[in-house]
Amino acid sequence: MDADASEPARADVADGEPLRSLAPSIRAAWRIKMVGLSVLLFLPVLFYDLTHLFSPNAQLPFGVISGGVLVSATLYCLMWPRLRYRAWGFALRPEEIYMEHGVLRHIRTVVPLRRIQHVDVSQDLVEREFALGRLVVHTAGSRSSDVVIPGLPLPEAEEIRDKIKRFILEDPLVEEPV
Amino acid sequence: MPSSSSTEPPSSTEPPSSTEPPSSTEPPSPDAASSDAPADAETASTAATTLGTIHEPQRLHPLTLLLRVGASLPALLVILFPLLRNPGSTENITSLVLGVLYGLFALPAILLQYWRFSYRITPKQIVIQSGVLTRKNRSIPIERIQNIQIERSLVARGLGLAKVKIETAGSSGTEGSLEYVSADEARKIRRAVRSFQRDTAETEAPSRADDAADAADPAAETLFAMPLRRVLLSGAFRFSLLYLAVIFSVLEFFNPETLLQRVFRDDRLDWLAGLVLSHPAAAIATTVLVAILLGWASGIAVHLARYYNFRLWLEGDKLRKRHGLFTVTEGTIPLDKVQTLILRTNPFMRAFGWYELKVQTIGIDVDEQGHRVIAPFASAERILELAGRVRAFDLPDSFSHVSHLTIRRRFFRYTAALTAGLLPAVYFWPADWLHPAGAALPWWGFALVPAALGWAVLQYRNHTYAVGADGFYIRRGVLSHYLWIVPTEKFHAFHATASLFQRRLGLKTLFVDTAGAAGFAYPEVIDVPAETADEQFRTLYRRFRRLYRARVEAATGAPDTRLSPHERPRLPTNAPL
Repeated sequence: MDADASEPARADVADGEPLRSLAPSIRAAWRIKMVGLSVLLFLPVLFYDLTHLFSPNAQLPFGVISGGVLVSATLYCLMWPRLRYRAWGFALRPEEIYMEHGVLRHIRTVVPLRRIQHVDVSQDLVEREFALGRLVVHTAGSRSSDVVIPGLPLPEAEEIRDKIKRFILEDPLVEEPV
Repeated sequence: MPSSSSTEPPSSTEPPSSTEPPSSTEPPSPDAASSDAPADAETASTAATTLGTIHEPQRLHPLTLLLRVGASLPALLVILFPLLRNPGSTENITSLVLGVLYGLFALPAILLQYWRFSYRITPKQIVIQSGVLTRKNRSIPIERIQNIQIERSLVARGLGLAKVKIETAGSSGTEGSLEYVSADEARKIRRAVRSFQRDTAETEAPSRADDAADAADPAAETLFAMPLRRVLLSGAFRFSLLYLAVIFSVLEFFNPETLLQRVFRDDRLDWLAGLVLSHPAAAIATTVLVAILLGWASGIAVHLARYYNFRLWLEGDKLRKRHGLFTVTEGTIPLDKVQTLILRTNPFMRAFGWYELKVQTIGIDVDEQGHRVIAPFASAERILELAGRVRAFDLPDSFSHVSHLTIRRRFFRYTAALTAGLLPAVYFWPADWLHPAGAALPWWGFALVPAALGWAVLQYRNHTYAVGADGFYIRRGVLSHYLWIVPTEKFHAFHATASLFQRRLGLKTLFVDTAGAAGFAYPEVIDVPAETADEQFRTLYRRFRRLYRARVEAATGAPDTRLSPHERPRLPTNAPL
C-alpha cells in the first residue's frame, strides 16, 4: 500500500477528470428503437382487448390492459433514454478506457488499452440516420469480452478506433497480448 | 483441389538438411539438439528434418476409413433394428430401404470425406483442407497454437492411430482436428510445430532443454503422478449420475417389461412387489441406498477411465500431461499461458484434506469445461506446492470477509424465489390432494425458509477475498469450495457493479476478468462494502498498471515510449460534440 501511495499522481482510475457523456442525439436514437419495441408489444395487447370487447365474462372493463400497457410504454419511452443517458459516462485515458453505465445495475469498467484485441466501429439503421457510431472493443476476457460505447459521432468513433489501433501496434513489449 | 500451394512460404521448397533422413520418425538425436553451432541455422535445419514429409499435403491414415465405418455401424443397427427383431414381416420395407440408402450414400460419403481431406504443415502455418460439397481451407498460424492434444481411444490404440487436436487462443473450441493419423505421425506433428514455434520465438536455452526432454521422455521431471490406488480413492469422493444415463439408454432399446420378465421370473417379481407394498419405508430406503451406491461406484468408474495412469511433467516451460484408461489423452499447457489457478474441493474431500488443482488457459479444452486439470486429487500441501510450480504466488495470511449484509440479501432473494414458486402452487393445489395437518402441501414448503437463512450464512462464511501483492485471491462456494488465484500479470478488465438492491445497502460486486473461456463460476467478489470495493478496484488496477510500466521501462528504458502525448488515444472531456 505504501508503494502504491508513492506512485506519481497520474490520472487515477475513478476520481480523475470528469467523464465524457455520449452524443446527446443518442437519446433520440434510443427512443426510436424503444418506440418500435413498444408498438410491437402493444399491438397484440390491443388485439386481445378488441377481440374480447363483447365477451360476456370479461373480468376487466374494456381498455384497462391496453391502456395500462400504453401508459407504461409511453413512460418507458420518455424516461428511460434520459435515465440511461445520464448514467452513461466514459473517459479515454492514456492507458485505459474507463466507463460507467447502467440504470438499474451500475457498472464501472476499466479496460486497459494493453488488453484490447481489436476495435470495431459499427452502426445500425437508426444510428446511421443520426450519424452515430458505436465503438466495440474486443478483449480476450472470459465474460463480457466485448465492451461497447454507443452513441459517439461517427468520425470521432473512427478516430478513437484508429488511435487505439496504433497504440496497440506500438506496444514496446514484445510479449503476446495474453 | 487439395494442393493450392500459392500461399506456401518460400522456406518450404528448400531441401531438408542431411543430418537425418527426412522420413525418419525417430526423435532428433540428443547430440544434434544440444550441439553448439550458431543457433538459428541449427534450429531451422532440425526443424526441416523433423518436418520430413509433412510439408506436402498429407492424407489421414487409411485405417481411418475402417474406424469411421465402425463408428457409423450403430446407426445402421438402429435402422435395421425392426428387421432383426422379426425377420420376414412385411413392415420391414422402410427399414430395408433406409439400409440400402445408407449403403448408397453414407459409405461413399465417408470415402469422399477421406479423399478430400488433407493437411499440410509449413513453418508458418498448418493448412487443413476438407469438405466434399463445400471446400474448407483452414490455415492455423503456427505461433497461435496453444496446445496440440493427442488422443488415443482404445480402438485407435489397437490400430496404432491417434487423434490430433489443435487448439489456439481465442477459439471457442478445437481449431483443427486430424482424425486419425498414425501415432508416430502425431508425435512428429507435435515436434515439428514446437520446433517452428521455437524458431519464431527465438528462445534458445529453454528450447534445447525442451528438445532433449522430448527425445528422452522419462528424463523429464515428473511433477505429479497418480498410482492406481490414488485414482480409485479420488473416484470414491466423486458422486456421478452416469449410471442414470446408462439405465436410460438401456431402456431406450429394450422394453422395460420384457427386461423385468427376463431378469425376474413371474413369481419372484410378485414376491418383490408384495415386499415393496408391505414395507414402503424400507423400500424407499433401499432405493435411496442403491442409488447412492450406484452413484458412488460410477464415480469411481468415471475417475478410473479418465485419470488412470495420470502423469504430469515439466518440459522446459511447458507442462505436459497424459492420462486415461480407454482413451489416452496427451496435452500441453504452456506455463506462461496459465491465466488463473483454481483450487477446488468439497466439504467431504476437505474433511480428509484432499484438493483438486485446475488452471484456466486461453486455448479451450471443451471436455474439461474451459479449465484444465493439473492435479485431480492431492493433499493440501502437495497441491499448494504444485500450484507454486505452475506459477509462483504468495498466499496471503489473512483473507477479508465480504459485508455481512450479503446474508440479508441472499436470504431475501432465496425467500422471494421460494415464495414465487410456492404461491402459485398453493393457489392451484386441488382440494382433494395431500393436505398434511390441514394445510395444502405447498404451504409446508415454507418450512424451508430457515434453510435458506442457513444457506445464506454458509455462503457468507465461505466467501472471502484478499488483494495480495502479486494477485487477487478469491474464495467462494459452499458445496464446491473454490479458491481462485488471479495473478496481477493476467488481469484483463476490471468491473465493479452495483445492482439496485446492492446500492440500497451500499454494496458492490468486484470482478477482475481474465482471458479464457466462459465458465460456470467466476471469481467474483459479491457484496463488498462500496467504499472498500472502490478502494480495492483502484488498488488492483494500479498494481496492474505499475507492473506493466515497470516492464516497459525495463524493456525500453523509459516509462512509455509509445506515441507522443498529443497522439495518444485521448479525448477532451465534455468538449462540444
